[in-house]
Amino acid sequence: MARSNKSMRREAAVPFILKFLATLALIMLLAPVVVVILAGLNAGDHLTFPPKGLSLRWVIAFFQSDAFLPAYLFSLVLAVITMILSTILGTTIALFLARAEFRGKQMMRAFFMAPLMLPGIVLGLALYLFYLSSGLGLVRTMPGLVIGHVLVTCPYVVGTVNAALVGFDISLEEAARSLGAKPFKTFRSITLPVISPGIVAGSVFSFIVSFGQFDVSLFLTPPDSNPLPIALYSSLRYTFEPTAAAAGIFAIFLVVVSMLITAKLTNLRKLANVNFS
Amino acid sequence: MSAFLQTIGKPGRSALLAAPGLLFFFIFFVVPLVSLFLLSLDKPSIGNASVQWMFETRNFERFFGRALYYEAAFRSAGLAALVSAITLLLGYPLAFLIAKTTDPRRNTTLMILVLCAMQLDMVIRLFGLMVLMGDVGVINEFLRWAGLIGEQPLALMYNFTGVVVGLVQFSLPFMVLSLVGVIQGINPSLEEAARSLGARRWQTFWKITVPMSMPGILAGLLLVFAISFSSYVVPTLLGGWKVVVLPIHIFQQVAELGKWQFGAAIAVVMFVISFVVMLIYQRAAARASGGRI
Repeated sequence: MARSNKSMRREAAVPFILKFLATLALIMLLAPVVVVILAGLNAGDHLTFPPKGLSLRWVIAFFQSDAFLPAYLFSLVLAVITMILSTILGTTIALFLARAEFRGKQMMRAFFMAPLMLPGIVLGLALYLFYLSSGLGLVRTMPGLVIGHVLVTCPYVVGTVNAALVGFDISLEEAARSLGAKPFKTFRSITLPVISPGIVAGSVFSFIVSFGQFDVSLFLTPPDSNPLPIALYSSLRYTFEPTAAAAGIFAIFLVVVSMLITAKLTNLRKLANVNFS
Repeated sequence: MSAFLQTIGKPGRSALLAAPGLLFFFIFFVVPLVSLFLLSLDKPSIGNASVQWMFETRNFERFFGRALYYEAAFRSAGLAALVSAITLLLGYPLAFLIAKTTDPRRNTTLMILVLCAMQLDMVIRLFGLMVLMGDVGVINEFLRWAGLIGEQPLALMYNFTGVVVGLVQFSLPFMVLSLVGVIQGINPSLEEAARSLGARRWQTFWKITVPMSMPGILAGLLLVFAISFSSYVVPTLLGGWKVVVLPIHIFQQVAELGKWQFGAAIAVVMFVISFVVMLIYQRAAARASGGRI
């Protein structure tokens, strides 16, 4: 009772003007998302005020579209491949950072987080130029695009796995080893249970970041197949197709499910901090 | 494979474990960035992306010598600064509200909403914004329906305002997430002490809460600056080609004019500005996490 009293008092302590601005911020964040859903489900040729009623005609049009459906599926495949590669690379890097004791470890960590801090268009351009001049045959190909996506998603895995390892005494591994456990068994029964929420959160993040990636894809996309953000961008430059909004609904669905999974598995606040440090 | 499985549980051999990651980052991150730097210092040669090893500073002289380009740098930076300020004004109250929401379910819901908004593809969010802000968009139609404006619509997009609104929408979640943790970390007994000593709510807010969350504010401002400074989609879709920022110049030089060396030089200028901002951010963030304990 005393506790709930206290919590009520503290919530009441948010002044009106702050509540007003916070509501404004929430509307700003969510209104575009709501509008996309409404535009994809509306019955008219475009979203009007007041709306003309609901229908599934644009969702059906999306499933028949030869621009957005292939783009959606392409993005899905791209995101899954990116997620698998990033999770493996990121987890090994995070384990290395947790175990190794050397000077400049902080700098090493900053180095692996660096792709997050670089403007996406600069990274995309640097990769494109490198592909062009190196003759590796990666210019505007699927592998070339995957490499770009792995670079920008790997830091999320490094960050989340690293965060999961905070407070984990790495010498436990050595203890298990000295008690005769085989290396892989040590990893499976000591380390893996500790880092698995971090691994899952990191892979969900890399999936979603890859799925919504625009800047890096701009210079790297294969000419014959577009990821969804690029396909939406090209259509949006000329017209508003409600079919694009219907594609958006399916993307929103993916994001919401992914965030619910992450919320179940990890402390969101911890995750939020990982994101940018 | 079995050698790899061996290393995964063996603390002593973790360098081997990280070898694929190190190699990957070296080949596809370090080498391309170094080539970008080299190319930006190379002799301009249209349509040629390979380094010719003929170094000069002509690309940078061109950038800093022509108003078209250096003004775009100032425009980008000014825009990013304005967006940072507005984002703080809207983001701080929301972060404060989330931090003070003690009900765990409401707190989680708000956090998920912010994270979803952040993770959703920006192009899709821009679709929503454009449907809202167009001349025959939802906002103008609503105002017309309510009789607040005549036939002449409010010019909400394809101009500077549109770009600012788009960038604020883009960067708000980043600001909120940089602040929530810091505000939650402030010891509530400090605020209670101030209140019990007779400080009003506003006084407590301004004299205790805001100064205590300063590291988060600084970190959020720098983060938002960096990401809105480097956005390409928002200025192209909402600016109607009237708000020409550095990323637009890069794309034009490279994709339309084949001037790789000059495009690389603009990218290097962006890289340097972002790098400096991010260095300051990291220091601020380090202080923020220090202040949390």
